[in-house]
Amino acid sequence: MDVAEIIAHHILDHDWGVTLDGLRLPITTHSVTLMAISVVLLLGLSWIARLGPSRAGRLLTTLMEEYVSFIRDGIVLPNMGKEGKSFLPYFCTLFLFVLCSALAGLIPNMKTATANISVTAALALCSGGLILYCGLKFHGPIGFLKGFIPSGTPGWLVPLIFPLEVVSMIIKVCVLAIRLFANMLSGHMVLICLLLIIFVVGQMHIAAGAGALLPAMGLELFMTCLELLVAFLQAYVFTLLTSIFAGSVIHTH
Amino acid sequence: MEDLLKPDYGVLVLTVCNFLLLVYLLKKFAWNLIIGGLEKREQQIADDKKQAQDARAAAETLKQELDAKLAQISEEASKRMAEAVKIGEKQKEQILSAAKEQSDRLLAQAKAQIEAEKNKALADVRGEIARTAVLAASKVVQQQMSEASAKSVVDRVLEEIKAK
Repeated sequence: MDVAEIIAHHILDHDWGVTLDGLRLPITTHSVTLMAISVVLLLGLSWIARLGPSRAGRLLTTLMEEYVSFIRDGIVLPNMGKEGKSFLPYFCTLFLFVLCSALAGLIPNMKTATANISVTAALALCSGGLILYCGLKFHGPIGFLKGFIPSGTPGWLVPLIFPLEVVSMIIKVCVLAIRLFANMLSGHMVLICLLLIIFVVGQMHIAAGAGALLPAMGLELFMTCLELLVAFLQAYVFTLLTSIFAGSVIHTH
Repeated sequence: MEDLLKPDYGVLVLTVCNFLLLVYLLKKFAWNLIIGGLEKREQQIADDKKQAQDARAAAETLKQELDAKLAQISEEASKRMAEAVKIGEKQKEQILSAAKEQSDRLLAQAKAQIEAEKNKALADVRGEIARTAVLAASKVVQQQMSEASAKSVVDRVLEEIKAK
């Protein structure tokens, strides 16, 4: 097994080969991880929401209220205005979902689901759907399409500008998926590569491998801390950009 | 490694369904309760803040009213004090004037009384002198005059004294 294969094995999704009447079901490591995260989030948050006025209950409830305040006052309201308030549950879920998916990769035997382009594309598709829904809800089909034409554009430029703006919006949504995927993938690739240094050097000489152990582990620890930061950062960026794009179709220029 | 960029549409659809279902369920069972609690708490804080601001405004108004009243009372007190001082001055002058008048009157009365006492004393002295003179004269004359002549002399002397 060469290095590329080892890396691919640790990063790529693995199909569990579940079929139903000959139809292949998408039960893979990443999809199971996501479902597990969903169940944990659902049970955990439902439990916290129903906690009584005990000390622990107040602490957890206050923590969740602070989280909701952060999403509402730091992300949704500044970018979408008061119209965005009804989408607050979506953004609260999105941030936690992306964050937990990224952090899951740091738990042994679990994988970073957001290092899968299909998963990030699905999340970007949901964000794209939200943007479309916001545009149609607040401006109607015609108004939404008109929003793609900047005010003051000369009539003869409209046929050129309109497709450009539409493509620009589609690209923005695609970039959401690619940015999250690339960040999560690269971080995990670096982590695996650092671990592989020990074995690659060890294959050359056992003493050299032992010598590489401490520096490699130090770098591994540093990168893991960085991955923690990146997980929070990417969850924030994904949520923030979704709210900005949705806000841009609600408050058109 | 090229599999990294190959999308798995099954996973994609499953993730979309998973995520949207999670949004729906969390909204129903968690977010609505948490957001409701948060908004209730914020509303309570806003109400308390408004109440505190109203109370502060009321206190400010009350303070202004009290300050105005205090200023009014102070002005009134100064005015009354000035009036009292004025009345006191007037009463002082009246008392002094009355006292002076009374002392003048008492002085005049005393002078009159002294004059009367003096006159009375003079009269008494005169009487005493007369008696003494008569006594002396009678002793001188007793040896030379009869009782009848002596009596006439004394009567004459008394008449003279009365005439004076």
